[in-house]
Amino acid sequence: MSNGATAAVAIDAGELPMGGGLLALVRPALQLLEPGGVLAVNSSRHQLQDDLSVWCKVQKHEYLGHDVAIETAGSTTTRHLIRRGPLSVARGHRETDMRLAARDGRLSAEEVLSAVPMPADADPFSGFAPRGAQVEAGGPRYPFDLLNRDHVAPPEVASLYDQAVESQWDANRDIAWDQLPDHHPDLERALDQVFTFLAENELSALYVPSRFVSRIHPAYAEVAMFLSTQMADEARHIDVFLKRARSGGGGLGVSSATTSQSLLTLLELTDFTEAAFLLSVLGEGTFLDLLRFIENHAPDEVTADIVCRARNDEARHVHFGMVHVRHELAHDEGLYQRLENAVRRRAATMSGVGGVPDGLQDGLTILAAGSTSPNDIARGHDAFRSLLDEMHENRIKRLEHAGFTPEQARTLSELHTPNFM
Amino acid sequence: MASHETILLGAVAYDPKVVAIWEGIRDYFNQSNAPFDFVLFSNYERQVTALLAGHIDIAWNTPLAHVRVQHHTQGRSLSLGMRDSDQDFHSRLIVRSDSGIKGPGDLAGRTLAVGSRDSTQARILPLHFLKQAGADLGSVQLLAFDTDVGKHGDTGTSELDVLDALRKGEAQAGTIGDLVWVLEQTAGHIDTSLIQSVWTSPGFDHCMFDALPDLDPGKIERFTAALFAMTWQNPAHRRLLELEGLKEWKQPRESGYDSLRVALQEQGYPL
Repeated sequence: MSNGATAAVAIDAGELPMGGGLLALVRPALQLLEPGGVLAVNSSRHQLQDDLSVWCKVQKHEYLGHDVAIETAGSTTTRHLIRRGPLSVARGHRETDMRLAARDGRLSAEEVLSAVPMPADADPFSGFAPRGAQVEAGGPRYPFDLLNRDHVAPPEVASLYDQAVESQWDANRDIAWDQLPDHHPDLERALDQVFTFLAENELSALYVPSRFVSRIHPAYAEVAMFLSTQMADEARHIDVFLKRARSGGGGLGVSSATTSQSLLTLLELTDFTEAAFLLSVLGEGTFLDLLRFIENHAPDEVTADIVCRARNDEARHVHFGMVHVRHELAHDEGLYQRLENAVRRRAATMSGVGGVPDGLQDGLTILAAGSTSPNDIARGHDAFRSLLDEMHENRIKRLEHAGFTPEQARTLSELHTPNFM
Repeated sequence: MASHETILLGAVAYDPKVVAIWEGIRDYFNQSNAPFDFVLFSNYERQVTALLAGHIDIAWNTPLAHVRVQHHTQGRSLSLGMRDSDQDFHSRLIVRSDSGIKGPGDLAGRTLAVGSRDSTQARILPLHFLKQAGADLGSVQLLAFDTDVGKHGDTGTSELDVLDALRKGEAQAGTIGDLVWVLEQTAGHIDTSLIQSVWTSPGFDHCMFDALPDLDPGKIERFTAALFAMTWQNPAHRRLLELEGLKEWKQPRESGYDSLRVALQEQGYPL
C-alpha cells in the first residue's frame, strides 16, 4: 500500500459483496470515526477494491488502497483502507451509556427530560431530529419559530405530561350513562344550554393549542406532547358534554354571539405565551370555578361525575399555563406589559357585547335553583352572582400565584372576558 | 430577463428532474450576479449543433458530445468545468455467475449485452477496452439495447436493460458503467449470487461544460465563479448538487477523454 495510514477501526467483512450486506458493516464503522480517521475492511471478496473505490468516491470518502493481510491455503484476505470523508458528519456527539432508570417499575418522561435536558435555544435546521440525536449537516430549515426554551418550555412540562397520560379516561365507557335520571324539562333545558356552552368553549380550547404545536421546535417536544394530551382532553370533553346534552330528552341549546366573538379573539392569537395566558390561566382558570359550580349544583351524580372529571383535566391545563407564564415572567421583564396589552386588546374587541351570555346566565341560575319556582330562582340568582365574585377572587389568586403583583392581578382579572373563556 | 449579458446554457432533457435542476441553478446563478438562462434539447446532437452555431453560450455535454465539439472546433473549444463524479469513471464486465466467464478472454462464443450505441460507459468504451484486454469481439454475439438514443446513455436505461438481460439469462455477460453497478448494488437491486463483476476497465471522464473559444470572457468569469462557489454544506446548493449527482464541481481536465477519442476513431464513429 502506497501510504502509511494506520486504521483506527477494523472490521471483518468475510466474503460479503458490496450488494450483499457489506455496507451494513462499513457505514456504521465509518460513523465511529472522525473525518480523516481510517477504517480497515478485511475482506476475502475478490476485486472488492473496484466497488469500494467507486462507493467511496460517491460518498466522498477516500479509498486509500489495499494489501494482502492474510493468505491461507483456502483464501486470501485483503485489507482495504478507507479514510472517512468530511461530508455527512453529524453534529454533536453520539449518545453513549444511556441507561434510563425506572423507578418503581415506571419510566417517566420527567426521567427522560432530566437525562436529556432541553437546550436554551433550538436550531431550525435540525428538523424533526429527536433531542439528543446527532444531526447530519445540510438538512433544510424547518418553519418552527418557537425556538427558545424559556419562551416555550417550563421545567414542569414533562411531569405534567406524565400526569396527563396517567389521567386519561373514556367518555364512552367510564360514565354511568345508564344511570342518568330524568329531570323536569325546564331543568333539563337549562342543563342542555350549559353543556352546549361548555362544548363550544372546549372546541376553542381544542383548536387554539393546535395552532402552536406545529410551531414548537421538537427540541421541546414535551411541550407539544403535553399540548397533545390537552387537546385529547378537550376532545373528550366536547364528546362527553354533547352526549350529556343529548341524553336527557332535550338537545343542544344556543350558541351566543358574545361567546363566538370571545372565542374568535382566542383563535386569532399568534403569540404562544399570550395564548397560554388567555386560554389556560384566565379562561380555563375561570372554567375551574364554573365547573365546580355546575358540579355542586348538578341534579344527579352522573352529571356531577362528568363535570368533576373535566375539571380535573382542566386543572392540569391551568397548571401548565401558570408554570409557563411564571417561568417566562422570571426570564422576560417586558412580559407583563405584553400580556396586559393582549388582555386590553381583547377587552376592547369585546366592549359593548354585554355581560355573561343570556342563555348561560339563565341556565346556570335555573341549575342552581333546581327548579323554576320563583323562590328557588331567587336563590339560584344569588348563587350565580356569588359565582362571578368567586371567579374574580380566584382569578386574582391564580394570577398572583403565576407571578403577578396583586395590583397587576386585579387589573388583569377585571379586564377578563364576560364569556369566562 | 434576457440581456446580452445573460449566459444561455443548453442541457439535454434526459429526465423530468432536469427542469428542476436547471431552474434551481438558474435562480442560484441569477442571485449570484451571473445572469443566466437555459434551454433544453431533446438530444445531444441538436445541442452540439446549437453550440457550434452560436445559439447557446455553454453546453452541458456528455463525453461523446464534448469530443464532438472539440473535433468541430479543431480542439479550440473551451472546457469550463465538470462534476467530481465525472472523473475516473470505469466500465464493468458483469457476468452471470453460472456462465463460467472469468474475464474478457472468456467471451468468445458468448452473448454480450451492451448499452445504447451512443453510451460511452455501456458500449463505446467497454468494447474498446475489452478488445485491448484480449477479448475476441468478432466471435461475440452482441445483444444491443439501443434505448434512448440521442441521450448518450444519460438515462441509464440501457444499462438497466443489460442487467435485466443477465437476470433473465438472455446474455451471459454485459457491459455497464461502474456508477450504475455500485448504485444498483447499494439499492439492493442486484442478486450478487447471480450476477457479478469480473473486470474493470481503465478510467475515463464523463460530462463537461463546453463553450466556443470566442465566448465573452465576462460570461466565462461569472459562470465559473458562481459554479465553483456552490458547496455541499449549503442546504440550498446541496439540493441542486444532489439532483445533478455531485458533491463538488471540479476544474476541467482533458486527459480523461483520450481513450474515447481513440475508441471513436477505431470504431469509425461519425463525428
